[in-house]
Amino acid sequence: MSLTSLDPRVTRLNLPDGEVPLMAPKPALDQFETYEVFHQKKESAAYTYVGPVHAPNEDVAFLFAKEQYSRRAACVGLWVARTAHIQVTPYVGDGENVYDTLRLETPTEQSGQPEPYEIFHLKKRGKAHTHAGRVMATSYQGAVQEAKKAFGEKGPIVNVWVVRSGHVLQSAEEDKDMWLTVPEKKYREATAYKVMDKITKFKEQQTNTPAQ
Amino acid sequence: MYGGGNIFEATKLDDLQAEDPAKMAEFEARIARGEKIEPNDWMPALYRKQLIRMIEQHAHSEIIGSLPEGTWITRAPGFRRKMAQMAKVQDEVGHAQLLYSAAETLGKSREQMLTDLINGKSKYSNVFNYPALTWADSNVISWLIDAGAIVNQMANARGSYGPYSRALERICAEEAFHLKYGHDAVVHLATGSPKQREMIQAALSRWWPPIMTFFGPSDKMSTHTETLMRWKVKMATNDDCRQQFLDMYVPKIWELGLTVPDPNLKKNAETGKWEFTEPDWEEFKRVINGDGPCNAERLAVRRSAEERGAWVRKALLHPKAKYVKPLA
Repeated sequence: MSLTSLDPRVTRLNLPDGEVPLMAPKPALDQFETYEVFHQKKESAAYTYVGPVHAPNEDVAFLFAKEQYSRRAACVGLWVARTAHIQVTPYVGDGENVYDTLRLETPTEQSGQPEPYEIFHLKKRGKAHTHAGRVMATSYQGAVQEAKKAFGEKGPIVNVWVVRSGHVLQSAEEDKDMWLTVPEKKYREATAYKVMDKITKFKEQQTNTPAQ
Repeated sequence: MYGGGNIFEATKLDDLQAEDPAKMAEFEARIARGEKIEPNDWMPALYRKQLIRMIEQHAHSEIIGSLPEGTWITRAPGFRRKMAQMAKVQDEVGHAQLLYSAAETLGKSREQMLTDLINGKSKYSNVFNYPALTWADSNVISWLIDAGAIVNQMANARGSYGPYSRALERICAEEAFHLKYGHDAVVHLATGSPKQREMIQAALSRWWPPIMTFFGPSDKMSTHTETLMRWKVKMATNDDCRQQFLDMYVPKIWELGLTVPDPNLKKNAETGKWEFTEPDWEEFKRVINGDGPCNAERLAVRRSAEERGAWVRKALLHPKAKYVKPLA
């Protein structure tokens, strides 16, 4: 016997009816790794953290991120980085500056070419990390140090995220047209639904029609 | 979409005495100051456990809640409604993704949550164990179930856990469309032909009893309820949410000349509180524990999607992949 539903499409799935054995637990990584997503709301605005996605690789992460975080809201750019590639400082309380609490040791030897790192600040707990800027450094530790010099004075800063720029997949300038569909889909906006006229007309009819 | 139903009762709660008093004091002071808790902060085991439970149930409710409406996409009258219904269903599934991630920051993997959903170990909002018999049922869900969910979610968004608040802010913004879309669809039928009116009245009558259970039974005011409220995990009692919902939506139902199928429903002018027939909590318990008209179908559909997609996920998995929980 297979399951019958009110929905013919469900009935056509031929799902088993009645008692079924438990599903074996999903294996680890069945849902892949996680990536963190940052969006740019409008040109010249700082990139802001919007949330994570699960994906098997960077490209798919970008596609999921585009669906999840730019589908319904204004967006002109997306950055995606593997969670594992982002280094996080401790969190301090609201109103404090985390840079003041970090013991930053100058790296003893400068090895390798400096490369760019992206720095994100959380200004208040519960809000979202925003892009403070880019620094050049040879290590994560060095990047935090540079970040403190460059943007660490304007507190409060509750928490800092650091990621090598090379690890961030960024939407390209020439792909800008992919953000153009949001305004076309007015039926997804609350403002597209205006019912007051219908209700008022209905009420008028009710009052004008004598009760039966 | 989501209701408070049945979340906070009947868990064996951890012993608060076992927690480090200094850390506990710091944690409580932070919440008392109005600061949010972030994933890496110290937190009592009870806080973590209740939040996982609550956010996970919320996520499951989104993903299962999209099923009764999803089945109406192909049969929605007209192209515009199909597009809107599709967009709404996509939103709900997106909400589930956001919420699973918020729960993951507390230490439960998405694999485990999905397994627990399919094997009936975790619950989801009980209303989705009822069928959407007609297009009008789908409209009542879009309007009133989402309305109830918004009451609940607006309260929870003020809660103390950062990742949950962030997810809820995004979710509430999207739900505004659902509410207006649902209201529009109900008004369309209610102000239409006698047959359309009959259809929407029948759907409302079918859905009213589940809607009244949507926020769950009255809270048993235990010490733990007080603790969870002090920690801003639970932001309003089930009864407060239900009263707020009735206040906001019963007048909107009545103005359409529709009848709420409860002869005892009225607002007491003295107390300012709504009075109503006590919902059938026995049925609620029976259905939430598996014996409802659609429980089996909802889980079977979800399970089939998981199983049929397994080979794709397996093929895409990078052999060196290593899981790290989301940051925030």
